[in-house]
Amino acid sequence: MSATPNEREKVIIEQKLAVESIRSFLKSKTSYDVLPVSYRLIVLDTSLLVKKSLNVLLQNNIVSAPLWDAKTSRFAGLLTSSDFINVIQYYFSNPDKFELVDKLQLDGLKDIERAIGVEPLDTASIHPSRPLYEACIRMMDATSRRIPLIDQDEETHREIVVSVLTQYRILTFVALNCRETHFLKRPIGELNIITKKNVASCQMTTPVIDVIQLLSQGNVASIPIVDNEGYLVNVYEAVDVLGLIKGGIYNDLSLSVGEALMRRSDDFEGVYTCTERDKLSTIMDNIRKSRVHRFFVTDDAGKVVGVLTLSDILRYILLGEN
Amino acid sequence: MAEENKDVSMLDVRDASKDDGSPYEGTDSSLSHSLSQMNIDEGEELGSQRPQMARRKSTLIFNDDEDEIPPYSHHQEHSEESQTNSGDERETSIGTSSSSLNSDRREAGEADSGNGASPLVTVDHGESEGTTQAHGEGSGQDSMVPVDITWQQGGEKVYVTGSFTGWRKMIGLVPVPGHPDLLHVKLQLPVGTHRFRFIVDNELRFSDYLPTATDQMGNFVNYLEVIAPPSQEKPQTKDKQRDNENKNDVARRKTTDPVSARSRIALEIEKEPDEIGNGFTRFREELTLGPSLEYTQDIPAVFTDPTVMEQYYLTLDQQQNNHQNMAWLTPPQLPPHLENVPLNSYTNSQNDSNENNSGALPIPNHVVLNHLATSSIKHNTLCVASIVRYKRKYVTQILYAPLQ
Repeated sequence: MSATPNEREKVIIEQKLAVESIRSFLKSKTSYDVLPVSYRLIVLDTSLLVKKSLNVLLQNNIVSAPLWDAKTSRFAGLLTSSDFINVIQYYFSNPDKFELVDKLQLDGLKDIERAIGVEPLDTASIHPSRPLYEACIRMMDATSRRIPLIDQDEETHREIVVSVLTQYRILTFVALNCRETHFLKRPIGELNIITKKNVASCQMTTPVIDVIQLLSQGNVASIPIVDNEGYLVNVYEAVDVLGLIKGGIYNDLSLSVGEALMRRSDDFEGVYTCTERDKLSTIMDNIRKSRVHRFFVTDDAGKVVGVLTLSDILRYILLGEN
Repeated sequence: MAEENKDVSMLDVRDASKDDGSPYEGTDSSLSHSLSQMNIDEGEELGSQRPQMARRKSTLIFNDDEDEIPPYSHHQEHSEESQTNSGDERETSIGTSSSSLNSDRREAGEADSGNGASPLVTVDHGESEGTTQAHGEGSGQDSMVPVDITWQQGGEKVYVTGSFTGWRKMIGLVPVPGHPDLLHVKLQLPVGTHRFRFIVDNELRFSDYLPTATDQMGNFVNYLEVIAPPSQEKPQTKDKQRDNENKNDVARRKTTDPVSARSRIALEIEKEPDEIGNGFTRFREELTLGPSLEYTQDIPAVFTDPTVMEQYYLTLDQQQNNHQNMAWLTPPQLPPHLENVPLNSYTNSQNDSNENNSGALPIPNHVVLNHLATSSIKHNTLCVASIVRYKRKYVTQILYAPLQ
């Protein structure tokens, strides 16, 4: 499809205007504005055992939850899949510590972090009445995929966990409610938003523990699984570790990633791919329709050349086109 | 996009109460029916009927999102509007423009997918006109609260559509004389939470001056909580002061016009404060006109005099057509409203959670707020939940903690 220079110019201008319009929309609305009128929020007490907290997450079909310290009556951070990854890594290098891992409470996760030498996750939070745009920026600065909304009780001045915003929620919200996304017609290859360098990958036979290490080292949420020639065949996601250690069993770490994937639930959305010629409008369409958290960018032959994550997209919408 | 996702939010509370065949359902509704008629006709002398009034309201709260509620079209014309301009002519213009909108809105994707299953169909006007009139003249108006919906963000042709019309019908807004950028329409809405959007020159929009929320499908909508008219308990001075404040703010909000001669006496304009916390005063909203009621110290005779009580229950039983006619003899296990807490109607199926990533729940009935619910203790883990207000929204907090 060859576009005349004039048409190209028009597409570029339209995209710039559309991004600006989405941005001003995000600035005009607060996090509170976009909450449902009635919603649920699952909070875990920090004295809960880690293995029990895993069951709670799986039962409720969620992948993260805010923590509450009952002793201090304060918000105590978020429990995410990376906490479980830390525990797995700890147990793998300290197999004699089964008793400790088995009896580990959520407030002991910080000790695990220290023991294996990972940076504690940034506990950025934001007040619900701040603009969405600000919440997104703060989330991005903290290189986090979610940000808790924290307010204070008017009478007791104690913290209240209001809700947790995720990149996915914000982008689906934009995809659903900003018609401007239809005008994002520039090929994503032009936008310089695809992560191409240092995209770690693994093969079906790679031990799952190695894949988990890759997730942790790269601070990424997924590792593409490729065959010998580099064609994309599947993906291992950070949330897959929840299913792996279901029931508190850490004995399956010797599995290959292919075997570990057998534990994935049937409603797995599948792996989404795109090419550098695809447009952000198409990408946003897919975000609106499916529960997709990243797109692997492939060449025409199907080899992985990069990945387009939700953070990449969000960063472009927040800061791109300047 | 399975059908069950279609707007379960606000319907299932009500459905549940129908389905479980609770004996109190029948009692309540027949009670409310007979009493709501009396309320109208005897506007001022309500003292002795207060307890029943309260019951009626609590059943009506569940009405919020019922698609089939007919009286939505009971618009009040602005007083300056000439009679000829109302009714037929506007209905027709809605009809034509809605059909032209049809394709446009489909193209807008799931913009309206809150009811994706129901395509935009213009309701048969003859029929709705009929209902309108019936309601104008009938006494059902008592359960309706007049609500003025305004639009001030430009555009030529502005319509409002929402849960109160089943998202099918669009109601046109008319200009407010003297305020060039302001359009409005007065609706009679049942008590409850209503969601709506505006269609401005064929484009689906929402107002920046009204509360907003995301529905279960993720659509961004305006919403509005219509609460039952309060009794006239507020000191007069405070009201006057508020009225003055209101006048200073006409550009943002139009003062409600009295609805009718009778209502003008009986209803009082009641305003909510502007502030939604942290200095945010984005929107203003007007609610609640109420008949003048008084609290009394006297216990109604129906509770003190056995013969009156007997007579009362006999009347009730006769109205029941002998269905469940002894139901009132058995006290309920729980207050009936507590059997329908939103958490119990939250389906956790995979299918649901796919669409419902924000954890949206049905709108809770006010009476279940601030109750502590618990599940049975499993695996030494206690799970407690409580529904609380957060500003104008409801958070159902679920806390998991180990049993110490």
